[in-house]
Amino acid sequence: MNISVKEWFKSGSPWVWLNAGAVAISIIMVIGLLGLIAVRGLSHFWPADIVEGTYTIDGQSKKVIGEIVETHEVLTEQLIEAGIKIPDDNEFSIRHLLKIGNRDVNGTDFTWALEHYFEDQTRPVMLFTAERREWGNLYGYLRSLKESGKEISHYDGYEQTPEYLAMWDELDKRVERALRIHEDILKIEKQEIGSINYELERLRLKERGLQLKHVEDPAAYDAINQRRKQLDADYEGLQQRLLDLYTEINRDSLTAEVAGGQVVEVQLAKIVRIFRPNAMGIGQKMVHYAKKLWEFVSDEPREANTEGGIFPAIFGTVMMVLLMSLLVTPFGVIAAVYLREYAKQGFITRLIRIAVNNLAGVPSIVYGVFGLGFFVYFLGGNIDDLFFQAAKPAPTFGTPGLMWASLTLALLTVPVVIVATEEGLSRIPRAVREGSLALGATKFETLMKVVLPMASPAMMTGVILAIARAAGEVAPLMLVGVVKLAPSLPLDGNYPFIHLDQKFMHLGFHIYDVGFQSPNVEAARPLVYATALLLVLVIALLNMSAIAIRNHLREKYKALEM
Amino acid sequence: MTMEAKTHSIDISALQRQNQSLRLEDETIALTVRDLELYYGEKRALHGINMDIPQNRVTAFIGPSGCGKSTLLRCFNRMNDLVDSCRIEGQMSLYGNNIYQRGVDVADLRRRVGMVFQKPNPFPKSIYENVAYGLRIQGINKKRIIDETVEWALKSAALWDEVKDRLHESALGMSGGQQQRLVIARTIAVKPEVLLLDEPASALDPISTLKIEELINELKNDFTIVIVTHNMQQAARVSDYTAFMYMGDLIEFGVTDHLFTNPAKKQTEDYITGRYG
Repeated sequence: MNISVKEWFKSGSPWVWLNAGAVAISIIMVIGLLGLIAVRGLSHFWPADIVEGTYTIDGQSKKVIGEIVETHEVLTEQLIEAGIKIPDDNEFSIRHLLKIGNRDVNGTDFTWALEHYFEDQTRPVMLFTAERREWGNLYGYLRSLKESGKEISHYDGYEQTPEYLAMWDELDKRVERALRIHEDILKIEKQEIGSINYELERLRLKERGLQLKHVEDPAAYDAINQRRKQLDADYEGLQQRLLDLYTEINRDSLTAEVAGGQVVEVQLAKIVRIFRPNAMGIGQKMVHYAKKLWEFVSDEPREANTEGGIFPAIFGTVMMVLLMSLLVTPFGVIAAVYLREYAKQGFITRLIRIAVNNLAGVPSIVYGVFGLGFFVYFLGGNIDDLFFQAAKPAPTFGTPGLMWASLTLALLTVPVVIVATEEGLSRIPRAVREGSLALGATKFETLMKVVLPMASPAMMTGVILAIARAAGEVAPLMLVGVVKLAPSLPLDGNYPFIHLDQKFMHLGFHIYDVGFQSPNVEAARPLVYATALLLVLVIALLNMSAIAIRNHLREKYKALEM
Repeated sequence: MTMEAKTHSIDISALQRQNQSLRLEDETIALTVRDLELYYGEKRALHGINMDIPQNRVTAFIGPSGCGKSTLLRCFNRMNDLVDSCRIEGQMSLYGNNIYQRGVDVADLRRRVGMVFQKPNPFPKSIYENVAYGLRIQGINKKRIIDETVEWALKSAALWDEVKDRLHESALGMSGGQQQRLVIARTIAVKPEVLLLDEPASALDPISTLKIEELINELKNDFTIVIVTHNMQQAARVSDYTAFMYMGDLIEFGVTDHLFTNPAKKQTEDYITGRYG
């Protein structure tokens, strides 16, 4: 085939190639991004084998036990320049990042090790990992089990024997027991004592309110005092039960030999999970993986957010976005209806449209500052003055919280909803409006019964775009309500159930916090990826449900082909 | 299809015979138009229109595109109010009451003067809800009354037999001709006095057109009908009176039969014999 460049160009195929190429690059980038965060994030939960070896460098030799987290190839030359003595027969040397755990013993969780000096690598089946509530993971050999300080079984060797396995099984049972007690303690502390404290605080506010109103009637105070006494008694009872539970949970402990031969004692109360990865089959590892993943999405964070789950952040994000949608939809729709249907079209409406479109381009942190200044300090402060006098000087709404965050984001996204709704309104065929008017309907009736329902898919498009923008927003939230660690969820069993004044956690901020504010960078890094993946999933899920609603509406109000 | 066409075909010569005895002087007048001038901004679209539209008759407006016939029709229910730049002078009354007076309830006027548009415009609701729409607007909520009215309206619009089993399905699933008859049913459900038809069959196939024409013939017993049409044969077939308009002027108005067989003005003759337009 022999065609000239000119003809080839005229045929349009370069254009097709260009388009296809652009689409392909976009898809590759999206898949690559998701793939990267998925692989980096999700591999974190896999129970890696524990490696034991001798690390000899500069004539000094020490035993190392840990998980290989990462492996790099480094230029040998570079290492030599850095003063490390290593033979230069290979261009590259292999370097591992080892998670050695035992922060209470070593001072750090992670260490770098050159493959060249890392000798006698073995994976003994007897090595165990204990995930603890404090100080991170513990790696070592189980040496003994203690009950109330007295040793009940002991084992010294490095070979797996029935005697050892029996001790391991016993340990497993006792860890289970401790976990159950721990759950009870949490339940009492979080829920029962939590709601007593909540009610006590409400009583205090009520009393203060009465004092402020100069109520002299002692009967009113008596009722409060009586209830308070009752709550105090309940509290005492719970306190006693807690004390008992704490004695129970602190009964057992284990001792383990860690790298270097030192023996440490760990209370079972401090252990979240204990397992021997080197002895696990692939099936067991998968079960373990699923459990870890579930913990990640359903549990609360531990150890400055570097361990445990991120459930409060997921919950906070979803709740904030839903609240934002509830606020932004009526607001945007009403504004759009006025602009499109009632306002006299002219210079002013054009000006307003330009302003609205430009609002969408204002950097989000500016909205954050506005939210803080106007919503939190001005509106919140006045609300406190008017309705929450009793709680002062502690602010109720005069401090960043869920409601102000949702409102700020609603303000941020309202242009999108206005533009989308206006677009939808303008697309309703004139014939349908006239049909309604010709039947004796007023303009308002036509709007409510025909036009708005037909424009509802467009409104949903606006809401979808708003959700997409709001869910990914972090900067303004830092000013108006998001915190690193919220003590309780904004939705709970205490009246009035939704606590709009509370601060909350957010996935986007969590990524920032874990990634950049964490004291333990190496431990936090995989969580950054996992949280990012989850944030993307949550936004996708929110969007998909909005899209499902829109498609349903579209089907229902399929516009006429006119 | 041929079967259907046969049963619905109408005897045109019989209609024409019927027309012969009509005289405008003997009719009760429903709508009167006096010196009506209509402006779109600076442009004058209607020039001093005077006419009387008789009750329970079909009056057709014919004329070339842009002659103002639809504009005039839309004056009868004040649809032109929706056009910002539109301004009206002169008088237009329904049974002696000026509809352009201050304080006239436009929604009520539009209920009394119903309108069917060129293209079927059913609402994206069920067939039943489309017909019930006007009633609900009036605040009628009794299911029995609505049921009865819907059935009556659909029967009057010769649609009942085709849709009675799927009243609660979407109206958008109907054919164009059915949709147009549904729109007519919807309009007559509120029992208007006058029915304005703006080229109701121009977007339909010949069989649907025939059905609509037959329907118009039925409906004139209950309603005063004004129809705008491009199709002169249609005007001849369905109307009792015809008005010929040209460039915003009413050129000639009279009994259809007379106007078509013996036009008084040269322009009318040119138009109906197809010399322009």
